[in-house]
Amino acid sequence: MSKPRIDWPAVQTVAAAFRMAMPRAPVGGRLGERLGVGTGSSLEFQDYRQYAPGDDLRHVDWAAYARSEALTVRLYREEVAPRIDFVLDVSRSMILTEQKFQAYGELSGLLACVSASTVADARIITGSGVEPLLLRRPEEIERLLCCDALLSALEEPHLPFRRRSLRVVVSDFLFPHDAEVLIGRLARDGASLSVVQLTLAEEAEPAIEGGRRLLDVEGRGELDLVIDEKAVHDYRARFGRLRLGLSRAARGAGASFAHVVAGTPLREVARALATAGVLETV
Amino acid sequence: MIFTSPLGLLALLAMPAIVAIHLFRRRFPPREVAGLFLWQVVRQTPEGGGKITRLPITASLILECVAALALALIVAGARLQPAGASEHLVVLLDDSASMAATNALGESPRDRAVRRVLGEIERLGSGGRITLVQSGQRPSVLLGPAALAVEAAPVLEKWKPQAPHHSPSLGLRLARELAGRTGRLMVLSDAPPDPAVEGQVEGAVWVSLGEPLANVGITAAQRTVSAIALALGNFSDVTTRRRLRVVASEREVMAKEIELPPGPSSLNLPLPMGLPSLRVILSDDALLRDNEAILVEPRPQIVAVENRLGEGRGRQALDKAIGSLAGVIQAKPGHLVFEPASELDEPPSPGAWRVGFGRASAKLIAAGEPKDFVGPFVTEKRHSLLQGVTLAGVVWTGASPLAADKVHPLVSAGDRPLIAMPALPGAPSEAAILFNLDLDRTNLIRAPDWPILISNLVEMRRQNLPGPDRWNYRAGEWVRVRLGRDPTGPLHFRCSGVERDLPPGRLLEFIAPSPGGLLQVMEGNDVLFELGVNFLDEEEADLRDRAAGEIGKFNPQSGRLRTENGPASDPLFWALVAIGGAAIVANWCLLAPRRSNA
Repeated sequence: MSKPRIDWPAVQTVAAAFRMAMPRAPVGGRLGERLGVGTGSSLEFQDYRQYAPGDDLRHVDWAAYARSEALTVRLYREEVAPRIDFVLDVSRSMILTEQKFQAYGELSGLLACVSASTVADARIITGSGVEPLLLRRPEEIERLLCCDALLSALEEPHLPFRRRSLRVVVSDFLFPHDAEVLIGRLARDGASLSVVQLTLAEEAEPAIEGGRRLLDVEGRGELDLVIDEKAVHDYRARFGRLRLGLSRAARGAGASFAHVVAGTPLREVARALATAGVLETV
Repeated sequence: MIFTSPLGLLALLAMPAIVAIHLFRRRFPPREVAGLFLWQVVRQTPEGGGKITRLPITASLILECVAALALALIVAGARLQPAGASEHLVVLLDDSASMAATNALGESPRDRAVRRVLGEIERLGSGGRITLVQSGQRPSVLLGPAALAVEAAPVLEKWKPQAPHHSPSLGLRLARELAGRTGRLMVLSDAPPDPAVEGQVEGAVWVSLGEPLANVGITAAQRTVSAIALALGNFSDVTTRRRLRVVASEREVMAKEIELPPGPSSLNLPLPMGLPSLRVILSDDALLRDNEAILVEPRPQIVAVENRLGEGRGRQALDKAIGSLAGVIQAKPGHLVFEPASELDEPPSPGAWRVGFGRASAKLIAAGEPKDFVGPFVTEKRHSLLQGVTLAGVVWTGASPLAADKVHPLVSAGDRPLIAMPALPGAPSEAAILFNLDLDRTNLIRAPDWPILISNLVEMRRQNLPGPDRWNYRAGEWVRVRLGRDPTGPLHFRCSGVERDLPPGRLLEFIAPSPGGLLQVMEGNDVLFELGVNFLDEEEADLRDRAAGEIGKFNPQSGRLRTENGPASDPLFWALVAIGGAAIVANWCLLAPRRSNA
């Protein structure tokens, strides 16, 4: 499993209907063509305010001055090209099966295409020790998905995020963590955070299999276990708590959270992401 | 390859055990999962039994088997080289004090003996073995048996001969036992062997390293309350002058130049009373050991005597005999009580010995009439009461018949005990003596035996009073000290750095230690008695017959000692240690990350 087989035309077709959701908080970035939340120099009127020395005289509303003899200036919304920091989990757990690998590739491709459709300054982060990749073309994301790391980038204490960037994190989150701490760390100094959890169906809902020697794909140990009804029940409860913890922590941090199950059609995935607030329709 | 402990190969059973563990360990089909932690905390014990699957040849299995094999071979004592055979030399060192006598160059036979042993060690080489035995009344092993030769030098460095004169026989016997059939025996002394032990030297080399030297020494010393008596020996052919000093508590009490003709001399030095222990010091000569004596002031034991006999010639004769003895006072309560024999079975006062004269009480008397005897008298001559007593010409009057089972006769006439020790409940056997005698009619009180008997009685009692028998001893003599009570703390003595524990008891007996000096008998931290222990050895002081030479030769049949130099001498041991250690460490490194992550 060196690279996922991504059907780029299909992905681009789906991505064409979506764009990255912009947050209410001010977004950092160079001037662009996306309306920001702050005040800028677009043609879209935002508000009035009292004139202050230094304001551009071209923005003085002379008609209002004629009516009220008070100098007021018109404010317009800013137009920005948002900074987007994608965090991709390239640990081995993301390619546990061909299906998961394929789904991961398509999801990453979708997000890359959506990001490219926006005039944005997008980078891919795969670890603290790896230089983030500036994403020029969506297809470039393919070569990052080799997924042979023993640790997820999210387990690393520091990631090279930019201030006031839009952050999109894709992982299965199947590693021991404290959701509050993890989400808080990812959201710190960012304009927004979108958390996408990608798992296999059997990772969320395992079946009774009998005795198995469970080997952690990331080398975190091994365990002889009889996977019976009780074991499955306990696992589901634990997985449910993990997902719920992520969801609550994301909500608490003003982030959006989406759980994607590998094997779901990409269009449905995009809709789910839009529903969660990661994307928005064009 | 040889194995010094073949039974250790049983440790190889660990290998099939490891294989079995690996074989049965993987009993479930493996399945890779992403979040193992979500599966844990549930039941981890498989419900089914193990099943045999194909043995996975893992790095861990190989490393564990290699480690087990290496350790098993180490335990089995695997060697590339067989055990070596080394030459074993047993050296008997003469520990007598004369070995320390120095010549004009300051060199002693001890120095020459050390040099000789070191020379032999060099000849033996690094693999040689040596046993050092020190002669003496109780020979001891200084080094070994069969120690590495290189260990001898520090032991020899500390060796200081200082024992009194003794026969080398015991040391020779011990050295021969240690030499066995494989060792060679060498004796290092300062004189050739005596004819008495010459036969015992067969098969050994006797090396004499002495030389004739003139010497003056103190050969005997005695201290009374007011004087010191010294016996000095000039062991040379010319008259010599020496300076004699008497020191008490680092203060010189007396000093004088004395002129000593060849042979023995005696010297009496009057002293003021009340001085503490004294050191008598002669000026230096060849042997320093005999130039000094320490003398403790004797404190004589005073025996209190109580005469309860009725008025008459018997009482008068007793008073007269007591009056002629030294160290005796008449006092109450007495250590020694003379009383009518009929009162012997009354309860005694504590610590009192009683001597009864006349007709015994009814408990001791048997049926019959008193009789007079003129002999023959049967005496128990070994008893200290009867030492010097003959009873020649004595008419023993009024001897009543005594119950045979209630007295132990010391003097008898026919079947009638005349002097006896009655068995009194709660008293030691010596504590009562019965004279089955009518003092008013016998001629014993006018015979020479009368004062001897009374004196013996007093001395017997004196010997049993608390305190030491004597106050000054030679090294090696038995010291006997009576406590007169049960000890209240641990008993021990110390003397010139020698300190030994003593068994608890009312009577302490031990050998005066060498090299001597002021000996303190202690109870806990309290000093009970101070005694003087001195060298005073005429045999060792006479250095005129010392000589150098070498006689005898090693037993040609003595073989070589099979030695096991330990595993460290074999390269295979270190190779196995390295392989085993590396396998264990590698296995640990292999498994550690998974363990820590798990």
